[in-house]
Amino acid sequence: MLLTIDTRDPRPIYQQVADGIKELIAQGELKAGTPLPPVRQLAADLGVNLNTIATAYRELQKDGLLSVKHGSGSVVASRTAAERSEGELLRPLRTALTQLVLAGLPSNEILDIVARELRTVTKGNE
Amino acid sequence: MSETQFVVIFYLFLWSASRIRGCFRRWRQPLLRGPEWFFSVRVQPDFYSGPGRKILHHYRIRMLMTVAVEIPIATAIFITGHLMYLAGLVVGMGVLVHINHAFNVDRAERQARKFAVPEAEQPVALVNLSLKTRRLSDYSNRQVERVIVFSTILVVAWLIRYYMAAPEHHDLRLVFGFPAFLLYAQAGLLLIKYMVVAWRSPVPQVQAEEHMEAREEARKLYLKCCDVCRVLYAGILVLWPIMLKSSPANRDRFSKMYLIALLVIGVALAIWQEIKRRQVLAVALRARPVKLPDLMAQSGAVRWPLCYQPSAPMLVLKGARGYSVNLANTLAQLTVAYLVGFGLLMVVLRT
Repeated sequence: MLLTIDTRDPRPIYQQVADGIKELIAQGELKAGTPLPPVRQLAADLGVNLNTIATAYRELQKDGLLSVKHGSGSVVASRTAAERSEGELLRPLRTALTQLVLAGLPSNEILDIVARELRTVTKGNE
Repeated sequence: MSETQFVVIFYLFLWSASRIRGCFRRWRQPLLRGPEWFFSVRVQPDFYSGPGRKILHHYRIRMLMTVAVEIPIATAIFITGHLMYLAGLVVGMGVLVHINHAFNVDRAERQARKFAVPEAEQPVALVNLSLKTRRLSDYSNRQVERVIVFSTILVVAWLIRYYMAAPEHHDLRLVFGFPAFLLYAQAGLLLIKYMVVAWRSPVPQVQAEEHMEAREEARKLYLKCCDVCRVLYAGILVLWPIMLKSSPANRDRFSKMYLIALLVIGVALAIWQEIKRRQVLAVALRARPVKLPDLMAQSGAVRWPLCYQPSAPMLVLKGARGYSVNLANTLAQLTVAYLVGFGLLMVVLRT
């Protein structure tokens, strides 16, 4: 259950933290009900501002992936709680596909990439 | 053999077991990874024949300064005959030696970085961080905790009963003073344990497992040392009612036996600690040191040994001139409260 932060990544650290936790949830490494470290602890461990981790947790909470219980901290929410509309889910996929098409990749190669990435993301669930 | 002679023997034992051993260990520490390293700084091949010689020499002089402080104080205590102050000296010097070492290593490493291999000085880009929640209870032996709590409750209950049976015949401070000191020391050790559990930082993606194992082994050793001290304090507390109840002649004999037992336990613990320390060192040497990125620009944020940074959740920040304790951190505030409380307890016990 390791979160990777890349200082060369143009994404801000809070985004990397949120995306990293999302990936771990998608891979099945972080299962529903698993407690996450408190904001203060994670910020201290990483050596970043409290707001950085608080923003990441807020984003996860907004996406329905994290539920905050007062007194017992944050836990990974069940998948049913994270249900979102199809349009909302398809938007980032469409953006990513547009990027690949604009990069000049042929459709069959894009399909290969999507299949490969899907296998990587769901490897823990199979 | 009188009690004071025992105190002297105990102090000399501590001196040889702790100070001399510590000096040997710290003397060799910069070169533990081989001649291409100075602590965790990878230095150029000619470092030790050039500027490194002076840096190493200064590091060793600064390390020995604590000995130069301790010897005159200990001599003064021996000459004036206030041998009970030796216990305070041992505790005070223990703290001073560790603080001095932390600042000394940091300073020496900063000096050595000017002569480091340039590519080794680049902070790593990829860092890993464990998402496992860590609590004090995860590192506590429930059996040991039960024994400590149960024995403490029993002793306190016995002392209250003993005092209440004839309050006019017992000195309140004599009955409860020493146990109060031991319980306060227990609380201090719990605070240290809490700090050790909280101590964590990211590890580089390269050799992540080795770095994590090294940190975990070091953490476990520190926590075990704290627990051993706590068990020892609990044992001393259990013996206190026996001391109170015994006749003056028996008490004298008993205190001698007690000091001998302490000396034997001290020797055994020193050997155990040395064996464990070597095991931890072997694990630590497997992880190659790297420079981690400063994600919060701490070096620009702090300048003094003490700072107040509410947005930074860390207890210790690494500034441009060395370490800085963040007084906005809860653990720092608890430590300050603990030290103030300790001062007040000493005043109450003395008056």
